Amino acid sequence: MIKVENLVKQFKDLKAVNDVSLEIKKGEIVCLIGPSGSGKSTVLRCINGLEKPESGHIYVNDQLLDEKNVETYKKLRSLMGFVFQHFNLFPNMTVLENLTLAPIQVMKKSKEEAEDIACQYLERVGLLDKKDEYPNKLSGGQKQRVAIARSLCMNPQIMLFDEPTSALDPEMVIEVLEVMQELANEGMTMIVVTHEMGFAKTVADRVIFLEDGKIVEENNAKEFFEHPKTQRAQDFLNKVMH
Amino acid sequence: MMFTAFWEILTVDNLIYLLKGAMVSLSMAALSLLIGLIFGVLGASAKISRNRFLRILGNIYVEVIRGTPMLLQIMLIFNVVPIMITQITGNVFRMNYFLIGVVAMSINSGAYTTELIRSGINGVDKGQWEACETLGLSRWQTMRLVILPQAFKRIIPPLISEFITLIKDSSLVSIIGLVELLNSAKVLGNQYYEFMSPYCLAGVYYLAMTLTISYFAKKLERKLAVSD
Repeated sequence: MIKVENLVKQFKDLKAVNDVSLEIKKGEIVCLIGPSGSGKSTVLRCINGLEKPESGHIYVNDQLLDEKNVETYKKLRSLMGFVFQHFNLFPNMTVLENLTLAPIQVMKKSKEEAEDIACQYLERVGLLDKKDEYPNKLSGGQKQRVAIARSLCMNPQIMLFDEPTSALDPEMVIEVLEVMQELANEGMTMIVVTHEMGFAKTVADRVIFLEDGKIVEENNAKEFFEHPKTQRAQDFLNKVMH
Repeated sequence: MMFTAFWEILTVDNLIYLLKGAMVSLSMAALSLLIGLIFGVLGASAKISRNRFLRILGNIYVEVIRGTPMLLQIMLIFNVVPIMITQITGNVFRMNYFLIGVVAMSINSGAYTTELIRSGINGVDKGQWEACETLGLSRWQTMRLVILPQAFKRIIPPLISEFITLIKDSSLVSIIGLVELLNSAKVLGNQYYEFMSPYCLAGVYYLAMTLTISYFAKKLERKLAVSD
């Protein structure tokens, strides 16, 4: 479903992503893990087009993601939902308006239809009663659940999560992970950049471990956590699991 | 002697006369703020545009207007624009003083508002642009529906200051003969051969306008803070 070939992304002198290639199949849940600055978020942002890579190719459903091909580029990006670490909800709009903005403006849905769909997703994330609140009245966990619902309203085929729980208080993490777990159970294709090793271990099909912009190890989740092959992955797991 | 004719001047008719002048000043400032706001949105859009030519144009507008006195701008528009239009159209063109004031003050205010809006837009978190981008909104939709409403909220306090400045600066238009508040006071002064009283009364009118605006601005700010 997603194929990344020889991706390179540089920020001034720093090669944030250095020749990364990976493939994600439909329905697969892949966690990108690694120490801070390993390039995992940058890979995710390149896949979505938020960062423009220096070289390399990204294919979505076998079609090249190329900014020059405007229509295809737009269509392919619309297949991907993106959830940010800091939620990025629109503070000037209510929860419901946050969810209906893009369906009305981009998908040209009627207000009623967009609101119906938005309410369904809000119910799924357990926040229907907050639909008329402004984001500032919500807790971090609630904000992130709204952000996930907002992405889902655009009916994506793949969800990209960029450290969705890193900005949350510990007691809020679980409610967001539960929503993600539910999505996973429904068969959503997901790429998750996370520091939540418990989530990666139980939910991910595959784990990709990055360091210094390179893939150090890639394995199915069980194998990776129980028998990491590389010394670097072993050291990392020893640090974060204990 | 100062204030020699104070009680003579303090009649209902004279107060109404000054009030009319104050209304001219206020409406000129309000119109200029609104038109200046449109110039400001255009100027700010030009300054943050991806197009280099537009960016240069936006910069020239702001620097030239901010770098020259408003009095000079009023005089230029008063003297030059009607002559230009007359030459182009062949018909004698006379601009109304009020219109000259509004045009000059709008252009002037637009330059300051450009900078206000630009800083307001830059102050909106980059994540808001990115969220819109991932949701498929166009740059213009993002600007109109997400960024500008947030930017405007931030710039309401400085925009109110701009309004207050415009009310005070509207007195500069008296130079071309428009009977606004300051000139109304001058007319009364001429009539009674005493200027201190009418000028002080004009000062009270200016203060009444600016303080009232400040008061409502604070209320508005509190109301808008709901979504903070």
